[in-house]
Amino acid sequence: MKTRRQFILGAGGCAACMSGLAHSRVLSTDLYPLVDVGYEPLDADERGMWQAMQQIEETIQASPQRLNNPELEAYTGGIMEQIIGRETPDLRLYLIRSALFNASMFPTGMMVVNTGLLARVRNEAQLAAVIGHEAGHYYRKHSIERYRSLRTRTAAMNWFSTAASVGAGVESMSNYGSGSNWIYAASMINTAVTMSVFQFSRNQEEEADAYGISLMARSGYSLDAASKIWAQLIEERKASAAERNNRYSDRSKSALSTHPPTEDRMKDLADTARYLAGKSDQPASDRRAEWLAAITPHRAMLLDEQIRLNDPGASLYLLQSLAQDGWNGLLRYNEGEVYRLRGETGDREKAAGAYAAATAFPDAPADAWRAHGYALLKAGKVEDGRYALNHYLEMNPDAKDAGVVRFTMAQ
Amino acid sequence: MVKRDMPMLAILLLLVLAGCAVPQQQTSLGFVPITGRDKIIVMRPDIAVDILTTGGMLERREDWTITARENVIASLVAIQARRGAARRITITRTAPAADDAILTELNKLHEVVGQSVMLHKFSPSVLPTKQGVFDWTLGELAVKYGQQTGHDYALFLYARDSFSSGGRLALQAVGFLSCAVGVCATQSGGSQTAFASLVDLKTGELVWFNYVYSNEGDIRTQEGADVLVSRLLDTMSEDEGGRT
Repeated sequence: MKTRRQFILGAGGCAACMSGLAHSRVLSTDLYPLVDVGYEPLDADERGMWQAMQQIEETIQASPQRLNNPELEAYTGGIMEQIIGRETPDLRLYLIRSALFNASMFPTGMMVVNTGLLARVRNEAQLAAVIGHEAGHYYRKHSIERYRSLRTRTAAMNWFSTAASVGAGVESMSNYGSGSNWIYAASMINTAVTMSVFQFSRNQEEEADAYGISLMARSGYSLDAASKIWAQLIEERKASAAERNNRYSDRSKSALSTHPPTEDRMKDLADTARYLAGKSDQPASDRRAEWLAAITPHRAMLLDEQIRLNDPGASLYLLQSLAQDGWNGLLRYNEGEVYRLRGETGDREKAAGAYAAATAFPDAPADAWRAHGYALLKAGKVEDGRYALNHYLEMNPDAKDAGVVRFTMAQ
Repeated sequence: MVKRDMPMLAILLLLVLAGCAVPQQQTSLGFVPITGRDKIIVMRPDIAVDILTTGGMLERREDWTITARENVIASLVAIQARRGAARRITITRTAPAADDAILTELNKLHEVVGQSVMLHKFSPSVLPTKQGVFDWTLGELAVKYGQQTGHDYALFLYARDSFSSGGRLALQAVGFLSCAVGVCATQSGGSQTAFASLVDLKTGELVWFNYVYSNEGDIRTQEGADVLVSRLLDTMSEDEGGRT
């Protein structure tokens, strides 16, 4: 295993010397859209791909996992128009309920953004950076390009294997040799071709990053937002790993990764941001106030999804970064939930402390009063516990568990 | 970009179903034959036709798919005319009086359940829990759909057909020649996989199921579509006369 990894790394290093650059960055100034509004594919392979994707889009439209929220859809759609600089009938953005940090682009102009991404970005500029990156995949026709490259490469690989089989057969018949050199040679070539598939994908990601940031530069968003997303993600993953007593390792450093290493992306985006900001005299804004106004009504749902992942390191990191604006009842309640779900020694007390702190804020959710009440009862503070549970019922008279809570209070 | 799962499925099916060209029929226990009074809705068939590339990937062909879908619908209409039963075929995605989301989900669910039936009932390694039973269902969603549309049964049809590209054919030829020197590097060609289910909309259960796997056939032609549809559905007409 070790020798193989060294071989791969060696090959990567060698490819880099040949190109004369350890790492070459795509220049955002070189990129222009390859498709316009109203684009319809003409080639048979692309038409087939669109047809298959349209079926997937129908499924996503009807999916129960879709977040059907007109305000958020209008808001994110507005960011898309802002960053593209015109109305965008060619792009369709779907919000999907998934707590994982991700967004994706389909060849037909369908963009999918996870709620897990909304939970993590800190301002409108950061979301615009992601949308810009995904739009880059669309306007640079990455899906069909990648498919065609894969089709060519898999065809070549199949020819190499077949030719090697024939060669091996001829050799073993004529010389009574084993023919294994043929098979070995073909497998070496095919390994190299396979690696190049991943390199191709990483190059596209770099191009999409560059495209996205150039869109941001034109639409007045602060350019450092793009690299900050990755800085936050690395910090979050370190916190998550530390909590589980693991060392943080970036999976995208692998030669089999479809995306470039996270740190490289962060640094490239920061460099490009400095370069572009130097050229522009436009005022730039991260539009944080607009972001907070749009996302705050949905914060409880977003935090709930994250906390149910039971990834305490990541969840606490997220809560603490949100609390940089000041703790509130919702954040404290969710902090308590993280401890409750983690369930290690001392976590019950930590959770109780967090619930108590939550109820001191005017925005404490009803569930915080419920959790606080039960924690007090467990600690033997019967009167205070009953008061808190009563407060819960007052706030949420139609609660599904109202009967159970009343029963507890009557004990 | 999402990953397409069809190539994997095709490989899996090749492994488990290689050689099974004979249609098999499976009905659930206690299936009461449909009478002329039952209202059956034939769902819009889920059809796709692909090119099998030199490297073994399946590439969707839009024009072939559209033609094949029209052909299969025409075959279904012809069968309906012959049988004269109270059936209706939904040509578009949207059936009247049913909400779009349910219809999309039902079709998707049928695809997954049907593939599961093929894998766990007809593959050489049948699941132990599925021996001697046939208890697949589309669940409450199908019941809800029945209530919305007033039908008793729904017939679902799923078909995938594929054809080798020019490059693939050339490679197949070389692979075939390689057998002459003792190392057979044969490459599979296109294939046809289809299944149909009759779903009881009062319970959601699959009451009848049949599949076809074949290395021949071509649903891009009307004759090819007729052959597929009759291989899939003809056994059901026997059920209508008596119990299986």
